[in-house]
Amino acid sequence: MTPLQTAPVWTAAAPAIILAATALLLLTIDTIDPDTTNNGLLATTATLGSLAAGGVAARFLMAGTGMESTGGAISLYGDALIVDGMSLFFTLIFTSVAAMVSVASYDYLADEQYQGEFYSLVLLAATGMTLMAMSNSLATVFVSLELASLPSYALVAFLKKNRGSVEAGLKYFLIGALSSAVFAFGISLVYAVTGSLVLPDIAAGLSGADELVGVLGLGVLMIAGGFAFKTASVPFHFWAPEAYEGAPAPISAFLSSASKAAGFAVAFRVFTVAFPLGTISSLGPGGIDWSLLFAILAVVTMTLGNFAAATQENVKRMLAYSSIGHAGYALIGLAAITVDGGAANGNVLGASMAHLLVYGFMNTGAFLFIAMVEKWGIGRTFEDYNGIASKAPIAATAMTVFMFSLAGLPPFGGFVSKYALFYSAIESGFWWLAAVGAMNSALSLFYYSRVVKAMWIEEPAKSLEIGSQPVGLYGAVVFAAVGTVLLLPGFQPVIETAQTVAAALF
Amino acid sequence: MAGILEFAPAIVLLPFLSFLIALGAGRYMPKGGALAGIGATAGSFVLAVATFFAVSGGQTYNQTIYTWAEGLDAVNLTFGLLIDPLSAMMLVIVTLIAFLVHVFSLGYMNDEGETGLPRYYAALGLFSASMLGFVVSDNLLMAFMFFELVGLCSYLLIGFWFRQDGPPSAAKKAFLVTRFGDYFFLIGVVAVFATFGSAAFAGPDAFPVLAEEALHGEHSVNTFLGMGEEAWFTVVGLLVLGGVVGKSAQFPLHTWLPDAMEGPTPVSALIHAATMVAAGVYLVARMYGFYALTPTTLAIIALIGGFTALFAATMGVVKKEIKQVLAYSTISQYGYMMLGLGAGGYVAATFHLMTHAFFKALLFLGAGSVIIAMHHNENMWDMGGLKDKMPVTYYAFLSGSLALAGIVPFAGFWSKDEVLYETLIHGLGGSPILLAAYAMGLLAVFFTGFYTFRMVFLTFHGEPRTETARNPHGVRWNVKAPLAVLGVLAATAGFVNMVPVEKLLGIKGIDFLHQFLDGSFSSLNAHHYAEILPYSSSYIGGEATTVAIGAGVSLGLALAGAALAYVLYNVPEPVEHTEKLGSIKTVLYNNYYQDEYQVWIATSVVQPISRVLDKFDQGIVDGVVNGISSVSLFAGSRMKRIQTGVVSNYAALLTLGLTALLLGLGLIGGWFA
Repeated sequence: MTPLQTAPVWTAAAPAIILAATALLLLTIDTIDPDTTNNGLLATTATLGSLAAGGVAARFLMAGTGMESTGGAISLYGDALIVDGMSLFFTLIFTSVAAMVSVASYDYLADEQYQGEFYSLVLLAATGMTLMAMSNSLATVFVSLELASLPSYALVAFLKKNRGSVEAGLKYFLIGALSSAVFAFGISLVYAVTGSLVLPDIAAGLSGADELVGVLGLGVLMIAGGFAFKTASVPFHFWAPEAYEGAPAPISAFLSSASKAAGFAVAFRVFTVAFPLGTISSLGPGGIDWSLLFAILAVVTMTLGNFAAATQENVKRMLAYSSIGHAGYALIGLAAITVDGGAANGNVLGASMAHLLVYGFMNTGAFLFIAMVEKWGIGRTFEDYNGIASKAPIAATAMTVFMFSLAGLPPFGGFVSKYALFYSAIESGFWWLAAVGAMNSALSLFYYSRVVKAMWIEEPAKSLEIGSQPVGLYGAVVFAAVGTVLLLPGFQPVIETAQTVAAALF
Repeated sequence: MAGILEFAPAIVLLPFLSFLIALGAGRYMPKGGALAGIGATAGSFVLAVATFFAVSGGQTYNQTIYTWAEGLDAVNLTFGLLIDPLSAMMLVIVTLIAFLVHVFSLGYMNDEGETGLPRYYAALGLFSASMLGFVVSDNLLMAFMFFELVGLCSYLLIGFWFRQDGPPSAAKKAFLVTRFGDYFFLIGVVAVFATFGSAAFAGPDAFPVLAEEALHGEHSVNTFLGMGEEAWFTVVGLLVLGGVVGKSAQFPLHTWLPDAMEGPTPVSALIHAATMVAAGVYLVARMYGFYALTPTTLAIIALIGGFTALFAATMGVVKKEIKQVLAYSTISQYGYMMLGLGAGGYVAATFHLMTHAFFKALLFLGAGSVIIAMHHNENMWDMGGLKDKMPVTYYAFLSGSLALAGIVPFAGFWSKDEVLYETLIHGLGGSPILLAAYAMGLLAVFFTGFYTFRMVFLTFHGEPRTETARNPHGVRWNVKAPLAVLGVLAATAGFVNMVPVEKLLGIKGIDFLHQFLDGSFSSLNAHHYAEILPYSSSYIGGEATTVAIGAGVSLGLALAGAALAYVLYNVPEPVEHTEKLGSIKTVLYNNYYQDEYQVWIATSVVQPISRVLDKFDQGIVDGVVNGISSVSLFAGSRMKRIQTGVVSNYAALLTLGLTALLLGLGLIGGWFA
């Protein structure tokens, strides 16, 4: 009996509302004083808004809002939205990334114009992601996905005078338009077969779809394509290396961590709720085995991401490919679901969610370190990183933590989350998937450790100069590093929460 | 008083703390971190004494502190503390000696202006902590881990003067030779886990108890290689014994110990009296309930012990350097302890472990004092006449020498005599092997008396033979005080267990150590061991007569050895008499060619095998690894090319990929039917 239950039901959507309101507030501030150079006010507002939303989500998670202990998921607006443990868990990821990105942008954008727009776009995108995690109908899925995507296109192209940024934004937009078209077509096919857009009703409508399994299958595949775009999975990944490399580095962090997680959030919900594997794989002659689909995507995505990352010379582009590789790991969460998996399904899905949380910290931190390097203006390749540790030991230590954690080495959060993910995949019987993942991790150590080697072991170039010590960036990077380290001892509650809320989906 | 045993972990942690302090802040502290070590070991000593009295009062402690690996199907791996009479006694010995060695180091290291003192005191602290952790271990795996830490610390300390040639090489040798034994120990630990599913020393699933029940058919265990239970237990016991032989410097793995004299002398005292070398014998005593079940292992232990006692004593006879003599005497004395354990004299061996700790620490510290006085010249032939120049050192050293030689009433007499006595009566009770071991042990008594007093006379008596010996460097209180404490203990420690007096005069109740070690856990006390031992006793015309004969013979031999040394060396201008030994002399100088044959094994047998393995590693393993990495990089550079940078290519590839997935899944799922 928490006091929250006496509040009106719409308050369950408070995190999304807070984010949207903050975005509007930022626009208001910008309207009052459009030429403001008071970067601090905007960054602070954005950060506080993200933290408030995250705080509410954390409070709800602890109080059990929308979970079995307090009466199950809370459904809003005619089942269009749903608040449950999973949506809150992902909201926590989005808001913490958004907060780190806002803090870091304070320094990164110091001399740029249109800052009010920047921060409000970030928060609008975060609102869209939060809604994605809450969507319970394919209509809201589509709308919220667009709400997350459209600000992202603008944000990638934010550096208007930078050709790389503009080009990346355009490519991102074009691929995004294509993917949205595929996605919308998929939705219409599913609607045609099942007669509903609300996820549980789709599941109920599957039983009569034996005749139309081909149409339904095409629809399911196309919907999966839409999510693959959002999560930067093969073959919808082409935008990612370009967009991550061209975008302002904090936006790369935002997209590769939060936006990717949002894609997974909505994919997890749609596929487990609307297309339960037990029902859909027994339709027609061979059914629609989407776990096989995701297994293929997982293997191809992690392999392509890691192999391509291994040969990059540009650190930011390397991270872009590594981010594709991590999408492959997270896909294991869907790939390892089985018809009669029982508790193992919830475990592997929860492990994937927990990995995304840890990933939110380590990957964001890594990109923010890149942002700092860009701010220093010392170049982009591995060679340019030579000897950074001798000038900026704290930042280099943080980057080392991110690199080793991304590679999955102890004693960092990335080690346990990857371990939990592979372990639960093995428990579900997908040992070969875990083996492919482990081999890819071994390969990834090669290129991650190249960064560490460059920073600590190589001799710095004579011209290496580090001008400023940007406070906001340092703060965000160190915060992410501390989070990455603390998630090792603190992993137990995270994985327990994740697996509990994931189990509620089945 | 109820809670004092709860503080037992602090006995281990205090020296560890001093290690951290000396390591982190030693260079900013006065005396290079020595005071932290002195304070910590003094604190540990006080706690150990309190623990000792609590255990005397009947309290015991057996607690798992931390489970560091659980959820395995078979076993949990834990750290825990076991405080029983044996470990309580050892705690007192180790903390006392460690404390005195720390104090002595002030004189030996600080006053001599050595550099690198924080490193020295850090290693000393870790050494003490490791040994204490080993002593209180409640299971074999934890014991093994601390056993290895002890080995590591001895490596660090023996090689303390790493800029000279000798010490690093000696440190490596000590490390490698003991490691050779530890391989067997490690396999033994795994074998114990595999056999019993537990490696605890005490408690309901203590492996010695399980082994006993298995032999009585009350419990089933896993045996391997198709052996019966007793045969398999013998194998396991011998595997663990490998580690013991290495650490306690028993034949044939004793070769590291004389070289280890390259380390600073206070370290030698610690290694020989209380830590490294004692660890091996202590381990046998710790799991004596297991060894007592297998007669073959016991016989092997007794034989190794007796042989080592004699073998090392003969080598000690011809050495020129004072520390070398002491080194061989250590090997020899640990041989006696092994003999005692093998012959069923659990209390006797433990007793000798205690008295030896006192008098050997004393002798090393005394030698250290002499070395300071002689400006680090260790050759006894350059000494002489130091008796009048350094009386405290002389009398303390003399007390230790009398104890070492086994002259009544000094401590060594009582313990050595009891070891020999137990061997004799069990040998007479139908174990001819023990009689052979007894004969070797008895003969060694003569050599011990001889080399001990040869050392005393050459060092302290006669005329000074060099200028340094005429004007020795003075020593301060921090050298004399530890010598005085240990001098008293070497003279009196034997009185805690005067079994011969009890037997001959019929005074009951003065065998305090027997009573002490009979307390505590029923599976760990001396009484229980006596029941499960495979020996029976028999006497030469009654118990008292046997006691008298045994004591008389060994005392006589010791006196004879001492007397021979007196005749040959207690003269104003002693000369070398080694020529009279003829060809034996060469053999003895070369230590029976033990080093030579071990080097031969290393170069002629091990090295070719290593070369073949190296070829395999370089060619096949590395070849595969390098091949994989170059294939990966090649594939990576190909994959990179998919990313052309042209958006229309991306759109095409995206659509083609989606189509391929559609075709594949559709064919599998029969969507096109």
